[in-house]
Amino acid sequence: MGEKKIKKERWDGSEVEILGETYEEGLPEEPIRWRSKLGDRQQMLRYLQSGERYWFSNDWYGSERRKTPA
Amino acid sequence: MAEIKKKEEKARSVDPACEEVFATCEESPVGFSWDRLAKQQPQCGFGMKGQCCRICSMGPCRVMPDKEKYKYGVCGVDVDTVAARNFVRMIAGGAAAHSDHGRGVAETFLAAAKGEAKGYEIKDEQKLLQLALDFGVEIGDRAMQDIAIEVGEKALSIFGEQHGPIPFIKRAPLKRQEIWKQHSMEPRGVDREVVEIMHRTHMGVDQDPVNLMQQGSRCALADGWGGSMVATELQDVMFGTPQPIIGECNLGVLKEDEVNIVIHGHEPTLSEMVMVVSQAPEMIEKAKKKGAKGINLGGICCSANEILMRHGVPNVGNFLQQELALATGAVDLMAVDVQCIMDALPRIAKQYHTKFITTNYRAKMSGAEHIQFDEDHAEEIARKIVEMAIENYPNRGTTHIPQTTNTLVAGFSHETINYLLGGVFRAAYKPLNDNIINGRIRGIAGVVGCNNPKTVHDSAHIALVKELIANDVIVLQTGCSALAAAKAGLMLPEAAKEAGKGLAEVCEAVGIPPVLHMGSCVDNSRILMAATAVVKEGGLGDDISDLPAAGAAPEWMSEKAISIGHYFVASGVYTVFGTTWPTAGAPGFTDLLFNKYEQIVGGKWDFAQEPSEMARKMIEQIDNKRAALGIDKAKERVLYDMAMRRELDAG
Ligand code: SF4
Ligand code: SF4
Repeated sequence: MGEKKIKKERWDGSEVEILGETYEEGLPEEPIRWRSKLGDRQQMLRYLQSGERYWFSNDWYGSERRKTPA
Repeated sequence: MAEIKKKEEKARSVDPACEEVFATCEESPVGFSWDRLAKQQPQCGFGMKGQCCRICSMGPCRVMPDKEKYKYGVCGVDVDTVAARNFVRMIAGGAAAHSDHGRGVAETFLAAAKGEAKGYEIKDEQKLLQLALDFGVEIGDRAMQDIAIEVGEKALSIFGEQHGPIPFIKRAPLKRQEIWKQHSMEPRGVDREVVEIMHRTHMGVDQDPVNLMQQGSRCALADGWGGSMVATELQDVMFGTPQPIIGECNLGVLKEDEVNIVIHGHEPTLSEMVMVVSQAPEMIEKAKKKGAKGINLGGICCSANEILMRHGVPNVGNFLQQELALATGAVDLMAVDVQCIMDALPRIAKQYHTKFITTNYRAKMSGAEHIQFDEDHAEEIARKIVEMAIENYPNRGTTHIPQTTNTLVAGFSHETINYLLGGVFRAAYKPLNDNIINGRIRGIAGVVGCNNPKTVHDSAHIALVKELIANDVIVLQTGCSALAAAKAGLMLPEAAKEAGKGLAEVCEAVGIPPVLHMGSCVDNSRILMAATAVVKEGGLGDDISDLPAAGAAPEWMSEKAISIGHYFVASGVYTVFGTTWPTAGAPGFTDLLFNKYEQIVGGKWDFAQEPSEMARKMIEQIDNKRAALGIDKAKERVLYDMAMRRELDAG
């Protein structure tokens, strides 16, 4: 699949060519079963620590960084 | 005269599929909710405005602040206390409905974990582990079944938690937890909170509207962060966490040449099992023997949303379409469980060939056949229901199935939004936060709730959502409101063309629609999780009340909507309802909800009759929050001009 370029107006009014959307056009035939990518228990727990880090990471508190972790 | 009648009929719904049904039912002696509403006019103004009390037999009393004669009830109560009692009782009713559903799910989950509920299983192990972490259940290399049993037991115990706060409130932003603690609003189990409301609102108990609302808040929070959240989470473990999926909706999904089974209500334990059984080859074979080409399963209300979100099963319609589905003459069997089921359904079903089945001991209806559904024999019972529908197929008379169907993308759980924004290796709300901060996205709105025949069916949902996205506000939806937007084509990626430039750019880059279907009514808990993730990601304050966000239920009708609205308010969200406001006749109490409550919990209620007014208020709120965060680059509100409005009115 070639890269799709689109033209956009820059903040100063000049035209620039940038990389366009990278997803495929149309509707997917199949559901996006992203959760099946999480294979075994270790991967699942690692995903919870990273993907759901707002609740399950030891060192990520985001807006709550300066406070005691939950 | 005929001309006038046509015009009145036009004002019932903006959905062309409904119009098609009305056109075929002019002579219907049963009529629909719209007809019964017309017959009920004028409705009682005291009840409508919260001024009526009938909790003891010295009453009923109508209490009016501006009429000396009626200033106090027989017991001496004033209107603000009457309205407050009525309001918190609505919260109790709604919280009880969601939470009793949640309890049923927890019981089925536990039975499934113990291997006692044939046909149910753990489908999403990752979500199970997530709950184990939430509940402090040891994981290690324990068998999945052992973890599930412990998680199920802990989940079930949440409902009866007597003292400590329920575990899920630890998911909320830390600042929010502090606010709840400070105001003694940390919820205990919902059973206790509902009972305490019924006690406090008994004659001669709690007579202080502020104190009543403190308990109302605690009860609503026990629903949103308790009963409803338990339902959502355990349903995800048993049936799968929703992922993006294409679905069809509206009355046109009924099929002329297939056995049509419609499941209506709320609990996916029934609809999931009927779905599995209706796809079994031997059932399809049986249907073919009766002359049908196959079996077509569809849902109404939240039963529909549950199976749509997880399997793409067609959604026949939202709340006001339940009667119309029967009036197509094409429904061979309708099975209902609990909540939002119009009492007229068995009478309407009798006019056609439709078999009408109740399945839950809590919700029996005269004129219906009752088949008790229980998880121990779920498959067997589902088979019986499907077979009854097949047997009934040859009895169909004339059918009038509207031609209208609409396509949508559903399945936006909080987890999926997180994944779509970043991917498995960098899942995060950061792209959303960044785009809110840089102003491409102006803010976030939750638009949820029912239909109500007092508002032209779907009109307020669609008008509000269109105006919000045109103003770069991303919209999260659940329940019947979600279906209204789906029928208007707003849940497809190409709906980005109806969005403002900034929001459209973000949607195009990520490949999502500007309006996201997050599920059923109990799944409003997913919106709480999404809002919390946005807070915790950082850059937009440290509490939900800091976010440029607002909530709305433009066509609400049920007590559940009030409970949902109030757990959003008590979680810090500005929330606007439309159609009618149940405390309008109590100025002091309404002022507490609409103004003073913000100083207590950071969120407040509001009311707007018209969707454009509602959009204006929500956008104003969003802009004020942006200003408070210092990210208020000027953005003009896009006003719908007359041509755009006409287009909207035309549906
Ligand atoms: S509690 Fe008071 S206001 Fe209510 S019905 Fe009894 S006497 Fe009337
Ligand atoms: S949105 Fe309202 S009408 Fe629809 S299922 Fe939920 S409570 Fe019932």
